[in-house]
Amino acid sequence: MAVPFKNILVYIDGSEESISAMMYGILLAKQNNALLAAMYVVNTKALADLVKVGIFLDLEKNEYQRDLQKDAERYLKHSQKLAKKKEVVVSCITEEGSAHKIVRDYIKANDVDLLVIGGVSAIRSRRDELNSETDRMLRTVPCPVMLVREDEDLWESFE
Amino acid sequence: MNLVDILDEKLIKVQLIGKTKDEILDELVRTLALGKDLNKHEFEKVLLAVKNREELGSTGIGKGICIPHAQSDVFDKISLVVGVSKEPIDFDSPDNMKSRLFFLVVAPVSAASAHVEVLAAIARSCSSSVFRRMLEKCKSSREVIQLFSE
Repeated sequence: MAVPFKNILVYIDGSEESISAMMYGILLAKQNNALLAAMYVVNTKALADLVKVGIFLDLEKNEYQRDLQKDAERYLKHSQKLAKKKEVVVSCITEEGSAHKIVRDYIKANDVDLLVIGGVSAIRSRRDELNSETDRMLRTVPCPVMLVREDEDLWESFE
Repeated sequence: MNLVDILDEKLIKVQLIGKTKDEILDELVRTLALGKDLNKHEFEKVLLAVKNREELGSTGIGKGICIPHAQSDVFDKISLVVGVSKEPIDFDSPDNMKSRLFFLVVAPVSAASAHVEVLAAIARSCSSSVFRRMLEKCKSSREVIQLFSE
């Protein structure tokens, strides 16, 4: 594990917390002269599960998949804009599948030494405990993980 | 996303009075309209979206559960209505079982990710027969929220 970090991955899921994570990742990459990548995973596993249990029709699954792919483009484009503001280069990656598995495999294959995520959800019920993708990432990835909380100063520094 | 974070006491109705599929859909959307202060035009727009989706295929998924859902830009974020009916309603479910538990989910197109997560969370919660039985027994909105928080 390199310290300071040399190869940083930020996981983007469209939440405000993940955008904060992106900002933090950009500042860290600049400070450490590190490689930076941003990844959005289209949750095709959840879509397939919804078809399996009968909530979605196949037609719907395809429509929602297209919407999620558009979301991926939008948020990764936004990430690039943020990175440009600080003169940092970011590689943007869109994947499909189960988010925590895709991120874990990417980290292993690319020697990522820091994952930055936008925090984990508050556990509001026992049912929710193990179902959040970011929770699962936190538990299963083989590198250090930074959880970023929302920070107004951070957002202001990018305006 | 946690269901508890989007549950709203104003959007929970534990004594649905509708007797048919159409009446239940109307009642769920009406509950949403009242809770979110929609005007008549917005109410009709959402109801049409929900009914159009229902036309494509029943949102009854079996085991007494129905999850009618639609995308609508009347809202800028996802909304969830929970309804419990004392009387079982025929919703053309694949197991031919009548339904007592209803979850109406409406979200804008821009919230596709949240929409998918919420639907998946509902399916997970309702996979437990104990949970379903306890939800059917809830007598108030507060009890429903309490159940989801356990």
